[in-house]
Amino acid sequence: MERRVVITGESAITPIGHGKKDILNNLINGVSGIKNIKAEEDFLSKYLYSKVYGIVDYKIEYDFSRKFAKTLSPVAYYACQVSREVIEKAGLSKELLSSGKTGVAFGSIHGSPSVQRSIYEAFFDTENKGYLKVNATDYLKSMAHTTAVNITRMFGITGRVISSCTACTTASQSIGYGYEFIKYGLQDVMICGAADEYDLTTTAVFDNLLACSTAYNHSPQSTPRPFDANRDGMVIGEGAGALVLEDYEHAKKRGAEILAEVIGFSCCNNGGDLILPNADGARRTIRTGLENARINSDDVDFVSAHATSTKAGDTIEAQAIFSEYGNKPYVTGFKGNIGHTMSACGAIETIFLLYMMQEGVVIPTLNLVDIDPACNMINHTIKLREKKINIGSIQNFAFGGVNTSLFIKKWD
Amino acid sequence: MSRDSIVIEILTILKEEFEILNPDLNDNLTEKYEFDSIDAIALLEYMEKIIGSELTQEEKKQTLEIRTINHIVDYIEAMINKRQQTAVI
Repeated sequence: MERRVVITGESAITPIGHGKKDILNNLINGVSGIKNIKAEEDFLSKYLYSKVYGIVDYKIEYDFSRKFAKTLSPVAYYACQVSREVIEKAGLSKELLSSGKTGVAFGSIHGSPSVQRSIYEAFFDTENKGYLKVNATDYLKSMAHTTAVNITRMFGITGRVISSCTACTTASQSIGYGYEFIKYGLQDVMICGAADEYDLTTTAVFDNLLACSTAYNHSPQSTPRPFDANRDGMVIGEGAGALVLEDYEHAKKRGAEILAEVIGFSCCNNGGDLILPNADGARRTIRTGLENARINSDDVDFVSAHATSTKAGDTIEAQAIFSEYGNKPYVTGFKGNIGHTMSACGAIETIFLLYMMQEGVVIPTLNLVDIDPACNMINHTIKLREKKINIGSIQNFAFGGVNTSLFIKKWD
Repeated sequence: MSRDSIVIEILTILKEEFEILNPDLNDNLTEKYEFDSIDAIALLEYMEKIIGSELTQEEKKQTLEIRTINHIVDYIEAMINKRQQTAVI
């Protein structure tokens, strides 16, 4: 028997704000969170061609006791903060969290790069081996699943844990797998999401592949430019997003506020090149997602495109959207505002969709001024619109050829 | 290094690095302050600095029974004495 899965909590830390009020205000007003990379004397910043980044440049009051903070790296701070907020918003009790019926699906690209660097510094330091060595907590802070297990530790969660590390599809897989755990009766509640910290090695990876934006270093807020004829690549960003997914009957019984319903998820792999976007893979993802949601393509009012602003990626994605949806749904690329928040993007973009559903608006793609003719067959959101979105989709495509689509339905 | 000096050093470290304030020297650190295995490994590094040299694996294993500040200070005194005796020989 399949159970209905609803969303009962959300929280995001993004380059355009923390919390619905700031984020929504900045989305509506077309605010960019892109800045020049931090002025630090580190090895990489001198060599990068791309000097822009989606930066969380405001203070966050964490208030974690040392007992928990001692195993937190920057990425886990983000993860635990958004998790704490969604737990509070959803009203999840300590008993429910520790019942074994609540689980965590939370990931990051690969843990904490900043802590991993300090481990390698100790590894290569031949002079001070006695005192400069790997700290007791360094592995715990840096490991690939540090976000998920710091969440379980901090909140005493004893259910299932999965910590996906699939780059751009990490959060959407977290949400999708959380949805399936609940749908098939394995858990009643799941805290789902992902986070990534500020890290120039991520920029370096894409910079080396000539995939980063380099032409707007002098005007950071003009990039990235999803689907725009003058786009020149992606901008890496930092941030976190978390949602509480819950069995509908469970949520109703305890009187939880329901924000939306997750009605479908698909995940597939291109089975080939690890880097290049794949039109067939994107189309299959959308198609299987629609089948999973048991809806037709014309039921979908809105698509949050992955749209990293690479020449090839945006073009192929536009073709795939048109192939499966035609030009009916509005399409927005949220990365224009916040950059590519890597593993967190699927959760953050889902939360942006929730806000749009709640407010009855469709946010336009920032920096989409001159639509690329290769992408102009779909219904781009180029200005703020008042519209009720009933069903929206979030699609993401990752290195390694991993593809996901999520389908969210408005809750009336 | 006198025992009192070692006690002062350890109390300072516990306060500044572990947020343990005004403990009794015979308090069970685990039971009273949730001092866990991660904290114990972190404290070992500070103990090595007081002792003035790295501890061997066998010497580190001897710390597994430590529960109180007095135990910590006993251990540090023992390691300092051991090294001084080795230096004399």
